[in-house]
Amino acid sequence: MDAILRLSRPLLAPWICGLLLALGVAASSGCRPQPEPAADAAESAGEGDDGGESAATESAESEDAPWELGNALEPFDPPGMDQLDEAEWISRPVVASDQPLRLAKAAQPPPQLTAKEALKLRNDSPEANEKILSALSRLAPEDGSGVDFDAVIVRHVTGDIATSNPLLASSVTDAELADMTTFSPIAFDQDLQYFGPAERIVSWESSADGTMDRIVLRDDLTWSDGKPLTAWDVEFTFKLIMTDHPLLVIPSIRSDVEQMKAVVAYDARTVVFFHQEPSAITYKNISYPILPKHIYEKTLPEDPSMKRSEAHSKLEDHPVSCGPYELVSRKKNQEFVVRRREGWYMHEGRQVRPKPHFAEVRVKVIENLNTALLALRQGDIHSAELRAEHWTSQTNDERFYRLNTKVYGTEWTEFHFVWNQHTPYFSDPRVRWAMTYAFDYDELLNVICRGLYEQSVGNFHPKSWMFPKDGPAPVVQDIGRARQLLDEAGWVDSDGDGFRDKEVEIEEGGKKVRRRIPFEFTLMTYTSESGIQAATLMKECLDRIGVVCHVKPTEFSAMQEANLERKFDASMGGWGTGTDPDMNKNIFGTGSTRNYGNYSNERVDELFVQGRMEFDPEKRAAIYGEIHKQLWEDQPYTWLFYRSGFFAFNKKLRGYNFSPRGPLSFSPGFDGIYAADGGF
Amino acid sequence: MTTAVATLNPPKSPGFWSEAWVRFRRHRLSTLALAYVTLLAVVAITAPAIVGTKPIICKFQGSIYFPALGYYNAGWENPVFRTAGVYPDYARELKNVDPDSWAVYPLVFQDPYHRIRKDERPGHPGNPWGVEGGPSLRNFFGTTNIGFDVFAQMVHGTQIAMSVGFVSMGIAAAIGIFVGALAGYFGGWTDMLLSRLIEVVMCIPTLVLILVLVAFLDNVTNWHLMAVIGCVRWTSIARLVRAEFIKLKEMEFVTAARAVGASPGRIMFRHMLRNALAPVLVPVSFGIASAILIEASLSFLGFGASPPNPSWGSLLQAGQNDIENMWWLIVFPGLAIFLTVLAFNLIGEGLQEATDPRLRQDSH
Repeated sequence: MDAILRLSRPLLAPWICGLLLALGVAASSGCRPQPEPAADAAESAGEGDDGGESAATESAESEDAPWELGNALEPFDPPGMDQLDEAEWISRPVVASDQPLRLAKAAQPPPQLTAKEALKLRNDSPEANEKILSALSRLAPEDGSGVDFDAVIVRHVTGDIATSNPLLASSVTDAELADMTTFSPIAFDQDLQYFGPAERIVSWESSADGTMDRIVLRDDLTWSDGKPLTAWDVEFTFKLIMTDHPLLVIPSIRSDVEQMKAVVAYDARTVVFFHQEPSAITYKNISYPILPKHIYEKTLPEDPSMKRSEAHSKLEDHPVSCGPYELVSRKKNQEFVVRRREGWYMHEGRQVRPKPHFAEVRVKVIENLNTALLALRQGDIHSAELRAEHWTSQTNDERFYRLNTKVYGTEWTEFHFVWNQHTPYFSDPRVRWAMTYAFDYDELLNVICRGLYEQSVGNFHPKSWMFPKDGPAPVVQDIGRARQLLDEAGWVDSDGDGFRDKEVEIEEGGKKVRRRIPFEFTLMTYTSESGIQAATLMKECLDRIGVVCHVKPTEFSAMQEANLERKFDASMGGWGTGTDPDMNKNIFGTGSTRNYGNYSNERVDELFVQGRMEFDPEKRAAIYGEIHKQLWEDQPYTWLFYRSGFFAFNKKLRGYNFSPRGPLSFSPGFDGIYAADGGF
Repeated sequence: MTTAVATLNPPKSPGFWSEAWVRFRRHRLSTLALAYVTLLAVVAITAPAIVGTKPIICKFQGSIYFPALGYYNAGWENPVFRTAGVYPDYARELKNVDPDSWAVYPLVFQDPYHRIRKDERPGHPGNPWGVEGGPSLRNFFGTTNIGFDVFAQMVHGTQIAMSVGFVSMGIAAAIGIFVGALAGYFGGWTDMLLSRLIEVVMCIPTLVLILVLVAFLDNVTNWHLMAVIGCVRWTSIARLVRAEFIKLKEMEFVTAARAVGASPGRIMFRHMLRNALAPVLVPVSFGIASAILIEASLSFLGFGASPPNPSWGSLLQAGQNDIENMWWLIVFPGLAIFLTVLAFNLIGEGLQEATDPRLRQDSH
């Protein structure tokens, strides 16, 4: 599925996160670790608004309400520095961004082949993939030898950036840009474990009671306009996110950030985060992107939307950044270019951080994946995510291998059909199970997905720590069982037309009336080829059991809107993994933003609360395992498959590694990739 | 005496239409095109008998049924097969459920709506998919990247192309003739208003209108497309008819009809229309070609009827994703669209030459 399949992923930088994405991807090293909606490449093009947690408040205030920074916050009286010192603090690791990955790789057996040998291989078997990946995933030596620092890499995305302001970011591509140009104080590694990146902070401590985190920033951080980056910026950005104004819409970031009571800068480098309540996952509250206070405190009162004023328009094209790269040019729907920022790695004449690996990163927007593939063959772009049919049929010959190689890695991304339980059809779990039993998984996996994906057995990936030990077995198509379940649920063919119907209570003109309705619903799906194929296969299967299903390919943003408004019967979807399973509360918790199917189970809600409060990793795993099993039993979705990441890389590129969120979206992710000496 | 009889029964002089037919036939390409279109029409009408997986006729549990009618309309397929668990695997299950049954299957056992699985018909190996699915004895035109038979889709797609062309132009002709006739016959304010209406409708881009419509409908069918195309594409017909009527209404036969008290409706549609029809056929013929192209482009862009929609345009769309390896997805539907559109244009041209006295080669 490619459609399912492909998505683009963001890279990571330190902090942006990933927002939404279409693919499950996104986060970066520090960044927001939310599960991301997976889409297909074609669709993700640009839009991946998760719509979710918008910070826009629905206050009835008029748009010209005065700007009041942090007006959504309760008054908070911060303890003094000495009181803080009295608390018991636990130190968190602060290491170089690539350190966790280096250690993990050192523990593995050394690659069997050199990069040169590996590049001669064709990736036609899991063994070949393993060999190629292990040889090419080696990180650059710490002294930077062998890296072509003058290289300009050309990356591919399927949709253009909508904004360069990291707080407003809502699409995959926005997140990719933010990953390169901004940062947040903490990051997560390949195993989705958080740590403090030594390039950005000096220390990170959490209070023993779990209510506070204290971070000391480095003193050599600067904005691209030369001003120092300080704890005041961190505090200011928090207040900005926690401001209610009718014009200010901050997609996605606020739901985590509002788990904090306050963020207080005690001096230019020390910042303390006060959480609303202790939990096992307070760190995700901290990973929000930082904006420069000295710029925005002047421009916001004039334009709280951060979009409309002249000053903000200028910032949009030339943002003041604090990451390893800065945006230097932007051609709408064609490309944007970021350039290495000297102020990031040099400070007062000496090198204080590793030099970013590329002189420039050009990100080309190519919506059509076939065109992207041609560009890849020509060497016009240097990396791209592949779709299943490209992997199996168009990337096996010399034309592809002349300049490129390809690799895949497991990702914890699943795809499914969501059943809207507020429709007369899907409120009964027996009906949802009937849908699950009716589907032809063999055809889906072998034909539509080309045998590249594994069948999904629920919300969490079987290789993840939260997957239950006695997890469910994959479902096999069983038309007889599906028919029986529908009969039991009362959906029978009462009028002899061959199609099922049932008398249900529906609302009509404001009144509830009982009416016999046919089992006929619309299945919304991606407009990508494989999205349509999967949905059409469902239609074919349901036709066998007397259920009429209309397939409606829907453009990604319209689909998101329908999902958020719950205006659909059934819909295809996919989720990449968050850095922590707690984030799925947003997907399955009663009344949650991304709970598109209106699923509700008190036990699941309760378990999510327990999971958040539990600090013992094993007990936590057991709790999320229970959630997994309960969800499976309730079948709010018909789970289809887990999609791994399939990527093509130019032969000059090295240092790519896969995390459950793809090759880019963790730390070091993109920052670990480099061009070998000799350039492109 | 004999002379007198001869005078009373003169050889009938050829009428306008038979004269036009003779002239049309002189135009060899047009005649060939007409034969091709006739063939397509036959294929379209008999598609379920040419290729499909449902029996054309079968005896099941003592009664005779025609399950292939289900390809025209799902409701025409007797529900008894669903109840008995035969549907949709007739070839495999019919005998299992009722050993005394017999069935006559379409000429080619393939289906435009699903991939033939292994042993769907006992002994059938199942359709290959992807690059393996090139043209073969079982799949004349190959298969798509998920194993749907291209020949089956092409044959059933002919039904879509033909019906879109004829139905939408039927609607357009009906509206166009009616509006044009009123405007031309009554003149004055009526003409003024209707002409402005025509101009307004001319400004509506068909594709955009259809895109909007598709966004609102949950289940888009080809009938929706036909209705929209028909309701937008009538303007050139209306203009021609109007011009003809303005000319004809000054003719003696119209004055005569009026003199004997015929109503305007009768004069317009009984006397004048038959004299104005010839010029209308030309834009109708070109219109059919363009309607077929519109449907193909919509399907190609993914805005056609809801899937599965075995139209020529959908096949092209499937082909563009792997044009280098799966040429059969482009060549066959591409040729079909090209030839059909060309044929209707040739017919239109032939009609024009045959019916327009100014273009008659023998008029000098």
